[in-house]
Amino acid sequence: MTSSKTTPLIETIGLNKSYVNDEVETPVLHDINLSISSGEFVAIMGPSGSGKSTLMHILGFLDVPTSGHYNFKGASTEEKSEDELARIRSASVSFVFQSFNLLPRTSVFDNVMLPLLYNSATRVSERKDRVMKAIESVGLTDRATYLSNQLSGGQQQRVAIARALVTTPEIIFADEPTGNLDSTSGTHVMEILQNLHRSGHTIILVTHEQMTAEHAERIIRLHDGHVISDDRAFTRRIAKRGGQIK
Amino acid sequence: MRLHDLSTTALRGVTRNRSRALLTMLGIIIGVGAVVLMTSVGKSMESVILGQISALGPKTIALWPGKNGPEMGAATLNPDFDSIKLSDVEALKRLRTVSNIAPGIFIEGKTTYGTEETDTRVMGASPEAYTNQVVTIAEGRLHDAQDEFDGRFVAVLGPDTARDLFYNQSPIGKRISIGNHKYTVIGVLEPVGTQFFQNADERVVIPFETARIVSGRTYVDMVSMQSTEDPADAIDDIQWLLRRRHKIVPPATGASTDNDDFLVRSSAQAQEILSTVSISLTVFITMIAAISLVVGGIGIMNIMLVAVTERTREIGLRKALGAQGRDILLQFLIEAVTLTFLGGLVGLIGGLGVNALIVAIATRFLERYIFAVNPIAIVAALLMAAGTGLAFGIYPARKASRLNPIEALRYE
Repeated sequence: MTSSKTTPLIETIGLNKSYVNDEVETPVLHDINLSISSGEFVAIMGPSGSGKSTLMHILGFLDVPTSGHYNFKGASTEEKSEDELARIRSASVSFVFQSFNLLPRTSVFDNVMLPLLYNSATRVSERKDRVMKAIESVGLTDRATYLSNQLSGGQQQRVAIARALVTTPEIIFADEPTGNLDSTSGTHVMEILQNLHRSGHTIILVTHEQMTAEHAERIIRLHDGHVISDDRAFTRRIAKRGGQIK
Repeated sequence: MRLHDLSTTALRGVTRNRSRALLTMLGIIIGVGAVVLMTSVGKSMESVILGQISALGPKTIALWPGKNGPEMGAATLNPDFDSIKLSDVEALKRLRTVSNIAPGIFIEGKTTYGTEETDTRVMGASPEAYTNQVVTIAEGRLHDAQDEFDGRFVAVLGPDTARDLFYNQSPIGKRISIGNHKYTVIGVLEPVGTQFFQNADERVVIPFETARIVSGRTYVDMVSMQSTEDPADAIDDIQWLLRRRHKIVPPATGASTDNDDFLVRSSAQAQEILSTVSISLTVFITMIAAISLVVGGIGIMNIMLVAVTERTREIGLRKALGAQGRDILLQFLIEAVTLTFLGGLVGLIGGLGVNALIVAIATRFLERYIFAVNPIAIVAALLMAAGTGLAFGIYPARKASRLNPIEALRYE
């Protein structure tokens, strides 16, 4: 935490990503220069094909850039092996997906427990408390023994958020978290994310919807792999007008 | 990932689709069951065979005409069937290393009493044969030296022959016909069960001298005797004597018995040969059974590949949550090994169950058939089952562990 005051949590310098298919190189991200500090709530916004998912995958250590630099907590992350990336994911980041991705026919408790199985830093004796605390923070304590397929979509996404919280990661990535939900459930999920942000979590939200993105305090817009705007003042401007974020 | 978590995860993978798991295991169940059953039956049969031979005593020596002895079929099919002459038998009696010389002649022809008849083998043998073959009398008496000397027409019956001809009456003193001659029954033997896959209780024994006169033979079908000291020395002496008498020169190369027109063996040697035969038979059958394990393993591999494809998203999720390639590899590998090991265990229980059933039936027919299991085979079968899981699980598990998490998460 001391280092985050001086160095940003995430810093990309001239980051590029391209895919090679049948020897044809398709560029996806161009010269991305970003700096995100601990505790921020950032939305990465853009239409489909803008490269926002690819950027999230790179920032979330699921993918590696083709060129450029990605520094995490001030340390370079280039040339990491797949297993090293997996260890960083386990220790520092977590994901909330559009399609929830819960294990079917598995209890809420076991679903939330899942990341702890791969997290060697968590002692076995601590697991139960941490899982129950995470479930409590999304308001599903009474559903802990339910199977994932016995829950509504909104509830499933809250389980996914609990699963993302259980390892106390440094960043939570939310990839279109409301995309498969009705508006009431979607609002509820966004409220939970905002509460998490207020309690100090760093959240990076990926979305193509303006309404969803507006929950964040900073919006980075992508288009054709380029950052076209990075609006930190967005929430302040809204607040000045006396508007409420819905 | 901790081992306990890995095994819990793998076990959950197995139990998620129970009927499929069971069907997948079927090949392994049958394979291990067959291996366990075959080796157990083999061991039981071995004990039957060895039990019969050891009843003969380690010093018993048998001599047959022909290079291959009785193993190559009936004595009459043997080109050297008449190689052991009566004079050879007399010469054997002068050897110091053997005693209790008992020549035997098989008599052709049906045995009848009234309207009852049987096809039993009739052997003319001197009374020494009773000692060599360890038979005891149940009723009446065995024939003795006087019967032999006089060439009397008397017969001793095996218990099955006595029952076939006389039902519940006592056969003692009754007159039976063998070929064109009448014999008086003087004794019935105790049952001894099956010897060399033939029912020894079906025999009829008459004095050797009588058989010699009736058949007009100058040669014998077998000679049994006892070695006085080391059976190996006795065999050397017999071979030396008969080769000299038959003017046989052992070949310069190859086995020294290659030119012989007779075969001599101690019961210890016969025991060795039969147990070798029985062991190689067991190994052969077990290998066939083991093929089913390989087939089962291919089934396991197939279903594991299906499982990897079905659970691509789950694998992607686990990787996104921090699972390393090794964690995924071990999860699927343990799942495959669990399947095969459980299959092995079920097969083991099934195989032992069927074996118990066979034992229950076989003991009614084979006196010395006992419940025997081969502990080495059981351990080997279980290890082989688990090994099958490892061998055939590694490919799907590697495939799973190498999935790209992003692509796996997007998989529909």
